[in-house]
Amino acid sequence: MSAALLEDVLVPAGPGPAHSRARRRGRRLLGLVVPVLLLATWYVVSDREILSTRLLPGPGTVATALAEFFTGDRNDTLAGVVPFTGAGPEHLAASLTRCGVSWLLAVLVGSVVGLLLGLSSLARDLLDPILNALRAVPLFAWLPLALVWFGLGEGAARAIIFVGALWPVLVAVGDATARVPRGHVETARMLGTPRRWLWRKVYLPSALPEVVTGLRLSLTLAWTCVIVGELSGTDRGVGAMMSAARETGRTEQVVVGIVVFAAVGLLADLVLRGVTARWVRWSRA
Amino acid sequence: MSGTGTGLLSARGLHKSFGDLSVLAGIDLEARPGQVLSVLGPSGCGKSTLLRVLAGFEAPTSGEVLLDGVRLSGPSADRGMVAQAGGLFPWLTLRDNLAFGPRASRRTGTQVTAVVDELLSATGLDGFADALPKQLSGGMRQRAAIAQVLANRPPVLLLDEPFGALDAQTRLRMHEWLRALLAERPTTVLLVTHDVEEALLLGDRLCLLSNRPACVVDELPVPFGADRGRAVLADAEFVRLKATVLERVLTA
Repeated sequence: MSAALLEDVLVPAGPGPAHSRARRRGRRLLGLVVPVLLLATWYVVSDREILSTRLLPGPGTVATALAEFFTGDRNDTLAGVVPFTGAGPEHLAASLTRCGVSWLLAVLVGSVVGLLLGLSSLARDLLDPILNALRAVPLFAWLPLALVWFGLGEGAARAIIFVGALWPVLVAVGDATARVPRGHVETARMLGTPRRWLWRKVYLPSALPEVVTGLRLSLTLAWTCVIVGELSGTDRGVGAMMSAARETGRTEQVVVGIVVFAAVGLLADLVLRGVTARWVRWSRA
Repeated sequence: MSGTGTGLLSARGLHKSFGDLSVLAGIDLEARPGQVLSVLGPSGCGKSTLLRVLAGFEAPTSGEVLLDGVRLSGPSADRGMVAQAGGLFPWLTLRDNLAFGPRASRRTGTQVTAVVDELLSATGLDGFADALPKQLSGGMRQRAAIAQVLANRPPVLLLDEPFGALDAQTRLRMHEWLRALLAERPTTVLLVTHDVEEALLLGDRLCLLSNRPACVVDELPVPFGADRGRAVLADAEFVRLKATVLERVLTA
């Protein structure tokens, strides 16, 4: 599964069926060209000290720091409170929990409100203007208010991630349910489906491909919001570690944070796509 | 569902307007058990609206729809309707599409399997049980859409130009297939079409509608046996009747 999914990520899904598999494999290698080139450039730039290693530590230094982050012995601490060596699992767990809890809550609230908007024109007329206005508020603009309401730390971080993750789900669910063809609903009614089961028999499956896209966007956004949330005075989390590393001038540790964010983001999207693949297969070209 | 009545569908004084636009102006008709009633009319005369009212998707402005003397309102599993584009759910396999109605009616798993297997072979789609609708040809999809509705064994089948989107050869094959299928399961069929040949090939009786607002201008029996095949197309009587009816429709 993972190989096929990786292929999907690196190569935009083309219309080609099985016969073009060999070509697709070639294309997958193509997706590695740019990262390899970047890595090589990075190596050359830091090796010849074109840029100071304080500004851009070399790939080797970062790799060592990455290994230390996850497997080192827990002894030194940075800025007195945020540990680095061996603290990878702890920071990662904190970020993942924060992101996961807020994202799930956003999915729940977004789905319910989205369904309401999609199924009821009254709800749409009532809520659409205000929701669109709130949606236009930049995420960072919520941060001061979140800090006032929830104080420095966990609460503010979760609130920010929640707000960031909410809109894509809400909009996707609302649009997708509003767009379910009337013909499908009528067919289901005519075949004897009671009204109260329509949402499960027709609306949900019909809307799922669009909803899954919304979920993916939302998860990626939630994960990007983690860093914003973790700037609000938390002492655990990948973002908190990066913040502390910046303060102590450990650029290689900042880069480790970026690598971890990228890897986890990619992995989370792969997992979500894997889990939802069977619900959306019918809608693929 | 099956056997609860004989399947006599009647419309009495059906009127339907959308705002100021009057579409149906007092339709009276009767679709008899075990027979196919072909409803013919000029394009845009309100045939589809009539069928949607009969199916219960639209409420008539006045008048009533009766099944075996019982007044109907709203859609239900006793009137299966198939439209031109078919009603298959694109996210379900063919098997699950056919099982949709029986499952909604809370049949047991083995009953559902039996009904679905029988219909799969009656439609010649045995090999495609696990295919998605988009993987089927247009003709296969329409056969499947009819089978999906028949899986509930409805006493009444409403067909809204079900073969309208198919090419002429496929359409002819579908006519023969549908005749054979209905011969094995007596159903009241109301077929709405603008295709005179189709109306005569499939119908036992013919009902002609006027231009909008539609009312019934004529009803006539179709004088060919139930076993008619495509050979009847060359029959002199068929050719003459087709020309007469076409003239009536064009001047209705």
